[in-house]
Amino acid sequence: MKTPVRFALLGLVLGTALAAVPALADPVTIRIGYPGVGADNRPFASGDIVAVAHAGHFVEDEFANDPDIKIEWTFFRGAGPALNESLAASHLDIAAGLGDLPSIVGRANGLKTRFILTDKVRDTIYLAVRPNSGIHRVEDLADHRLSEFKGTNLQLAADKVLAAHGLSERNARFINLDTGSALAALNAGEIDGTFGSIELLGLRDRGIVELPYSTKAEAASFGRHSATFVTEAFDQAHPELVQRIVDAFVKAARFGADEAHRSAVFDLWAKSGYPPQAFAEDFDNERLANRISPLIDAYVIARYRDQAAHVRQYGLIRKDIDVDGWFEPKYLEAALKAQNLENFWPQYDAEGHKVTIGDVEQTRSAAR
Amino acid sequence: MSRLATALPVPILLFGLWWLSAAQGWLPEQLLPAPATVWDALAETAASGDLQADILISLQRVGEGFAVGAVAGLIFGGALGLSRPVRDLFDPLFLLLAQVPPLAWIPLVILVVGIDEAMKVTVIAWASFVPVVLGVAQGIRDVPEPLRELGRALTFDPWDLVSRIVFPAAVPAIFTGLREGLANAWQTLVAAELFASSEGLGYLISLGRQLFQLDLVLAMVLVLGIVGLTLNGALALVERRLLRWQARAA
Amino acid sequence: MSASARARPILMGLLVPVLLIGIWQAIAATHLVAPYILPSPALVLARFRGELDGGTFGGDVLASLSRALAGFAIGAPAGVGFGLLLGLSRVAGRLFGPIFLAYRQVALFAWVPLLSMWFGGGEAGKVAFIAMTAFAPATVNSWRGAAAIPAPYRELSRALTLRRLDHLLLVALPSALPGILTGLRTALIYAWLATVGAELFLDIAPGLGGRLNEGRDKFEVDLMIVALTVLATLGLAFGQLGAAAERRSIPWRNR
Repeated sequence: MKTPVRFALLGLVLGTALAAVPALADPVTIRIGYPGVGADNRPFASGDIVAVAHAGHFVEDEFANDPDIKIEWTFFRGAGPALNESLAASHLDIAAGLGDLPSIVGRANGLKTRFILTDKVRDTIYLAVRPNSGIHRVEDLADHRLSEFKGTNLQLAADKVLAAHGLSERNARFINLDTGSALAALNAGEIDGTFGSIELLGLRDRGIVELPYSTKAEAASFGRHSATFVTEAFDQAHPELVQRIVDAFVKAARFGADEAHRSAVFDLWAKSGYPPQAFAEDFDNERLANRISPLIDAYVIARYRDQAAHVRQYGLIRKDIDVDGWFEPKYLEAALKAQNLENFWPQYDAEGHKVTIGDVEQTRSAAR
Repeated sequence: MSRLATALPVPILLFGLWWLSAAQGWLPEQLLPAPATVWDALAETAASGDLQADILISLQRVGEGFAVGAVAGLIFGGALGLSRPVRDLFDPLFLLLAQVPPLAWIPLVILVVGIDEAMKVTVIAWASFVPVVLGVAQGIRDVPEPLRELGRALTFDPWDLVSRIVFPAAVPAIFTGLREGLANAWQTLVAAELFASSEGLGYLISLGRQLFQLDLVLAMVLVLGIVGLTLNGALALVERRLLRWQARAA
Repeated sequence: MSASARARPILMGLLVPVLLIGIWQAIAATHLVAPYILPSPALVLARFRGELDGGTFGGDVLASLSRALAGFAIGAPAGVGFGLLLGLSRVAGRLFGPIFLAYRQVALFAWVPLLSMWFGGGEAGKVAFIAMTAFAPATVNSWRGAAAIPAPYRELSRALTLRRLDHLLLVALPSALPGILTGLRTALIYAWLATVGAELFLDIAPGLGGRLNEGRDKFEVDLMIVALTVLATLGLAFGQLGAAAERRSIPWRNR
């Protein structure tokens, strides 16, 4: 009687082991999407935490010892709107660096995501016009043709600037063009102005455009913001993987916010095809940590609430959305704690005033 | 009457399925908005006057482009059909150029004339031109030889031959070409407006896409269908009138 | 016809293109227009060779072709099946015909945003759009072919008391075959047209449409001309292939 029992026990153990093996060896592909492309449609990002993480292989390093886990990056020329389509079709797990407007639009239209860390805040935008066009201030754009990349956080920031200077659909024509087409159109004289960021600096150096205005001098609320999201489906299926992804992004953020790494960060971003000098100029007189912060603090929450209200007001979404239930800071908090970074970044209040000083502000540029 | 009776059940059934699926939430709302939201989107754009303005702009573009393309097509197609040397000279090049879908010309045309009305009218004109040429040329070539011989036997001069025998016999083919040209024009208009525009039905659709408003997109699809039907119906009416006149005159 | 009489049309057909290329070369040589706006034919040729040697052109053409064929393989048979149903069954024709005709009124490219929202802007979305485009002409022509079965054929089947299935296989389908083949041929052309469109409007990926867009963004007219020429040639090839296949398949019909 003992032998059958022993065999049965062996069978049970083997069976359980065999059943567990597939679970362990389940190949998972983490599909990360980024709403933008580099110069010449290069699949590289710049200017934010995700760009540091991607170009510096932080995510790949995190999973280097997991042969069953693959990382797949997709860069969308169609920016936020195209990334939203991919999310809706369940082709992405992580929306990294998605801008405020498209993420708000997505949420308003039922896309189920969790806001797990901020990607970039207070990003500057510039107004580009043709040389000798006579346009020196934003007000001069009245009765001209502008391009807007509809549905992106560039549109929201641009709309705010234009509204603050008295311009709207009523006194200027807006044409929907993506970044590449907008630059070609500006060059060819088909439009008179467009907004953008560092991609315009190199063009200004080559004399192709003039940059009469930037939001550097304006209040912080005029800048662009973006964040990283995980789909609720992926979050429920693989919370441990989400934690590790956030860990990797936080490591990248730690690297990217440190003034000692300033030129190294610009070199990483230069993989997108824009020269490091462009980033140096964009960040002139500005600490990296001013934009490179993953924190979901009072400022970020207030900003997104504010943006959602604006988006509703501009008629870009048709119902109010609940922003508060969107944030999921537990992964970020765990990562900060594990990496001893809880006091690394300064915290800001809802009005944008610093309430706690961060350790990062002690870091000095390597050059100084 | 019975025609209508059999035409209705399927659309009504599909609409019912749509309404039910939205009400029961079988598909997430961003994949299939409820009929009510689509209606709201339609009503909203109509109330603000945007819809009417955009329809008018789109129709205007099609009108201009089609007029240019059709007239040019009638002339060039006539030349191709009537003159052997012209056909030998220009047919191969024309056929090769006609292979490129009008949409593919848009990026190049944009570089030459910009993104504004000129681009749209140019591309629409070309899109109308090709089928009209083919229809006219084919129609003229297909005129049965006996008819031509009759003309020659009656000692018609070339002008009479063309205007009293060849052309009327080719009218059905010419109209087919015109109808295809209009259909092409309409298709190309939407494509051109999706590409780069600040107004028009295509612009509304691309705006809906950028802002993830599937209800707006669906509403515009409906509008497009209705406008397309109307245009086609109008052309069919003209065709019938003309052919009836022609039959009476024969 | 004598050899010279046969050669004459060919020579004349070449005359205009050659003249145009000559004028083009002359204009480019005078440098009146900047080379990046109007590259000389020599530059375009060089670009073409460069793309073949080092560039991704082969991959682009293959990518576009495979998308076109994938979409065709899905949409065309579905269209043929649907069209036959509409044509062979009076009831089906009266029930489903009108809404199909209404669907045809909507400009094809209007469906692009819808499909990209449902399937994403990647391969799935592109192939879905191509399949949708191939569906309509396949349906229309198969419908026409099936509906046009001459009454004498039907009477013959009745006289021979053929079973429904036999009538279908021996009489109806062969008689509808020309329509079906026209439908397939047209669907192939439409699929190619839709491929370019899908590549222009959806996410970047290898493909001829993508190169066309790239040329426009970077102001590289030589690249655009190369892409357009390849497009035209492939379109021509598709058309000829389709026509040849059609002729070979129904040798008993004198066309």
